[in-house]
Amino acid sequence: MKKFYKALLKIFLPAIPGILFSSCMKDKITRTYQISTPIYEVLTKFRQSIKSQPAVAIGNTGKITVIGNYIFLSEPNKGIHVIDNSIPSSPKNVSFINIPGNNDIAVTGNTLYADAYADLVAFDISNPLNAVAKNFAADVFPDNSIYYFGAPVTAGAAINPDSINVIVGWETRDTTVDYNPNNNIYPYPVAFSNCSNCFTAAAAGSGNSTTGTGTNGSLARFSVINNFLYTVDYNSLTAFDISQRLAPSFSSTVQVDYHVETIYPLKDKLFVGTNNGMYMYDISSSPSTPYLLGEFTHVRGCDPVIADDIYAYVTINDSSACLGFNNELQIVNIQDLSNSFLVKSYQLVHPIGLSKDGNNLFICDGQDGLKIYNAGDVNNLQLIKQLKDAEVYDVVTGNGLAIVVAKDGLYQYDYSDLTNIHLISKL
Amino acid sequence: MINAKNKIFLLLIFIAGNISAQQKNIGKPFQFHSVNNMGLLEGQAGSTFQLQTINGAQYKSWFAGAGVGLDYYHFRTIPLFIDLRKEFGKRINRLFVYADAGINFYWKRDKDPKQFYYNDAFNNGVYSEAGAGYKVKLSHQIALSFACGYSYKKIAESGSDNYYYFINTPGNTSYLGPPVSSSMSKINYNLNRLVLKAGIEF
Repeated sequence: MKKFYKALLKIFLPAIPGILFSSCMKDKITRTYQISTPIYEVLTKFRQSIKSQPAVAIGNTGKITVIGNYIFLSEPNKGIHVIDNSIPSSPKNVSFINIPGNNDIAVTGNTLYADAYADLVAFDISNPLNAVAKNFAADVFPDNSIYYFGAPVTAGAAINPDSINVIVGWETRDTTVDYNPNNNIYPYPVAFSNCSNCFTAAAAGSGNSTTGTGTNGSLARFSVINNFLYTVDYNSLTAFDISQRLAPSFSSTVQVDYHVETIYPLKDKLFVGTNNGMYMYDISSSPSTPYLLGEFTHVRGCDPVIADDIYAYVTINDSSACLGFNNELQIVNIQDLSNSFLVKSYQLVHPIGLSKDGNNLFICDGQDGLKIYNAGDVNNLQLIKQLKDAEVYDVVTGNGLAIVVAKDGLYQYDYSDLTNIHLISKL
Repeated sequence: MINAKNKIFLLLIFIAGNISAQQKNIGKPFQFHSVNNMGLLEGQAGSTFQLQTINGAQYKSWFAGAGVGLDYYHFRTIPLFIDLRKEFGKRINRLFVYADAGINFYWKRDKDPKQFYYNDAFNNGVYSEAGAGYKVKLSHQIALSFACGYSYKKIAESGSDNYYYFINTPGNTSYLGPPVSSSMSKINYNLNRLVLKAGIEF
């Protein structure tokens, strides 16, 4: 019996210290993340940095404007690449206009308009290689009002740029803190849009360019018609008087639907694409105050729009930022703008930007590439060619040349012979 | 990537192979030896269990081998480790100490909470254990062992979140500054447990 107890004790002896110290078995869980401290610069100095500099390689691609032999391609939040396209088969990236906070562009004559966070900047581009910022309209894009956040100013009003600080960078360092995984305060990201077409800016005016005015991609959010620059923001349409080209002056703002994405000019009409539909405005009677003529609603989704005299072409995609589920082309009869109606829908993969030249309809169908249709009969679109060279976002067409903004750069296709559409360059 | 069925299958093959090998060892100075444990893990995250099979060579009172197991503490992991142990005394039943060191591989469960919305991923981490026990021989080849020890395993979860930076500008104004950034972040789980285990040795 004694032996049995001794054996029992030896068996459980090892457990005794463990049992005694089991309450000390605490887990140590830490989280390592970055803390960023802002680096400030006075707005005056910040604005001095907005100027031309030597060309830099194209990184992320954004909005596009084509005028004459030049292509202006924005790189979101950084600036604009200036591309000499005198020889489309051999385009040259000739300079870069540094514009922090830039997303949208429009060009008319020798003037380029661009947003720099909440400001509208007018550049003299008499020499496109040496764009000179001539005028800043302060805090005219309140949705992007970064450095005016603490002290908003009246749109377009004069400010003292020496009194405003701008964040130009961040000092980042790692830090480690104790962490409770059951109390995660960031289970989901703070609101952030990945949609290339939502809440960011872009150039306007697509399809047929007016003489002396740049032709924009369909994702544009700036558009020039005669003496007015029209811009769209999250839920508004704003007109700027640009009769003095280098001194845009704020005219008016009209409320649109929420989630405004694009603006497209056609003669004296403006087509505004939103998450929920297309809104049509008249500017013939009062260019400074667009007047709502009609609307066409559709299922929720990101939706660039272009139009001709009879039909509007609306692409709808399911980008998460637009909370959509559909991927299709909708063709809408707009002969009576107050009573537009759907003619036909076509299923696509992930359509984004589009353009039309005559009967040829060009659709950027995301990863499915560029698709060219014969749209002579809108009830029976005929696919002419599908080009799957890249993931494509937007396109500008004209004179047998399709200039395509893709995820990895700029592609140009010669479609002068529809039986032999082919890639001629990639930048 | 090894799926769940394959992991269990490999574990069973490992154990079966060891029993067979053990029968060929009698009389040799280096003897193939197999330790197969079932354990209770006790710590801040509660009570869970572990399974282990350790196989190697026994030389006199020393043993060295490689082990693989299944560990359910906080996260399900597959520890892969080397094991070193020393027996004391000359009696049939002996005290022993042991130490393990290796890597534990994360084995995802659907119920594991994600701490990151984007790019949530787990990295394999270190595994270690040390303790003492008592071995009771049932026959010339088979023994029962009882042990208590301390075990540590580390797992890191990394991912990215998008943050707006909330800061204070000069003048103490609440400010929402640019840019919206994606920031990589890492959570380190350093998990300490008491181990109580019983096993059968061949």
